[in-house]
Amino acid sequence: MSRKSSQKVGFGILRFITFFAIISFVVTCSFLLFFTSASFDEVFIRRNAPLTFLNIFLLTFILWVIDHIRRKITIERPVKMIKSELDKITKGDFNVKIPRVTDIADESNFNEIIDGINKMSEELKGVETLRTDFIANVSHELKTPLAAINNYGTLMQSPDLTEEKRIQYAKSVTDASRSLANLITNILKLNKLENQQIYPVSKPYNLSEQLCECMLSFEEVWERKNLDIETDIEEDIFINADAEMLSLVWNNLFSNAVKFTDMNGKISVTLKKENGVSAVSVSDTGCGMSAETGRHIFEKFYQGDTSHAAKGNGLGLALVKRVVDITNCEISVQSELGEGSTFTVKLRCDEDETV
Amino acid sequence: MFKILVVEDDRDLNKTVCEYLDRNGYEAVGCLEANEAYNEMYGNVFDLIISDIMMPKIDGFEFAETVRSLNKDIPILFMTARDDFRSKQRGYGIGIDDYMVKPVDLDELLLKIGALLRRAKIANTKQITVGSLTLNAEERSAVLDGEDIPLTVREFNLLYKLLSYPKKTFTRSQLMNEFWDAESESGSRTVDVYMRKLREKFEDCKDFEIVTVHGLGYKAVLK
Repeated sequence: MSRKSSQKVGFGILRFITFFAIISFVVTCSFLLFFTSASFDEVFIRRNAPLTFLNIFLLTFILWVIDHIRRKITIERPVKMIKSELDKITKGDFNVKIPRVTDIADESNFNEIIDGINKMSEELKGVETLRTDFIANVSHELKTPLAAINNYGTLMQSPDLTEEKRIQYAKSVTDASRSLANLITNILKLNKLENQQIYPVSKPYNLSEQLCECMLSFEEVWERKNLDIETDIEEDIFINADAEMLSLVWNNLFSNAVKFTDMNGKISVTLKKENGVSAVSVSDTGCGMSAETGRHIFEKFYQGDTSHAAKGNGLGLALVKRVVDITNCEISVQSELGEGSTFTVKLRCDEDETV
Repeated sequence: MFKILVVEDDRDLNKTVCEYLDRNGYEAVGCLEANEAYNEMYGNVFDLIISDIMMPKIDGFEFAETVRSLNKDIPILFMTARDDFRSKQRGYGIGIDDYMVKPVDLDELLLKIGALLRRAKIANTKQITVGSLTLNAEERSAVLDGEDIPLTVREFNLLYKLLSYPKKTFTRSQLMNEFWDAESESGSRTVDVYMRKLREKFEDCKDFEIVTVHGLGYKAVLK
């Protein structure tokens, strides 16, 4: 017999003794309370004492059995179930979802543990898919610019290179390394958001101001491309959210808008508040996308049009989506191929937080 | 010639930055760690410091703090791989002037250095000269072609700010926060009124222009 099961028997006996002691105590107290004034002859007592003892014993046994069954249902069964699912997780199967126990069995708060484990397996699954997809996509995205750098480096070593060619190759190396750097920055940011449970730090702040300041950081680019900027930003809208995280959203949306809009195009940004919901829209007159692309646009490494692949790394909107999920906002996209796209982010803001 | 101190522990990066600065009209001195930098600063006067954060022994924060305690005015630019908000916050808290995240674009670095040096000069001389216009912060005077242009304190401050950072757009709120009391009842549209007045007063000045940027804010553009 294993040590565990002998321990179990020991606990069973201990519980029996405990019940016995409690019932004896209660019966004794009852006797003392009700029969102190009554007098019994000794024969009567002698005859009834063993019977009373047996009664107590029987009661104890019944209680013990009931308690045992209760324990089986409310503790041992859920524990067994949780344990078997945990074993699966240990073995690397993250598709585990433990059903919640019924309310009767929940007196030991197993549902809290179960919810915790389900959340954990969900997170683990996220990390796992990220890891597998990631390795495939990342190696492709990383190797392409690396190969370019490598090739140009080799080319530049040839002694009979014209000055013009040399400068051109050097520029290509710079471009490739720059896109590599952007990719790595985004991977690290996304990784931080994906792999760790980040809790947003919510504080009331001026969203209108944040949008203006974020937009202004693209001033130089839109001036160079001679873009028409239209703003309709309601002033002094305060929201309660994590400003740093949301700035990631605005920066990515603006940079996409600027990136995908051709020379002399138009970008408009609006911020409107209606029924306690602030809606930020970023529209461009860029290349737009098909409905099919629109469905996948928030997936990691998805790029609508491979001809634009050089401009981005397919991680920006995945970052945006992740932040939007974490901060409980909503994002939607409307787009027409060749016409342009509109991204709309909706944030709930409670009335009492308007200053 | 401006002398720039580059404190960066990566030998290659240090070398390339210094070389690029040297090629672009600056005199750069590279140091691989803070102690070396202290020695350099002991014997030389520098106009600007570029520093990494993560370095062996003494990190960039400590280095910047020490430098700041000795010299309140020298522009310090952090050039670091750390892009978390906390590092930026800590850096600016110590009193650095600008922050760039690696990998840095060397051309952008040049732009930032140019702007920092210009602002340092403005801070030192308390004077901005734009073509025929001279603003003097101490006398709070604006002289255009030898003619004094009367400005209220707030008008002067706004103009001084815009001209200190030409081509940089400030939002109305940023300007409000700096030049109006927090208790001020006036809305941010008050800024518009001041900008209109400034434009009127400097109608004759052809050296700069106050530009409204798409309803986002204002900037001064030099001509």
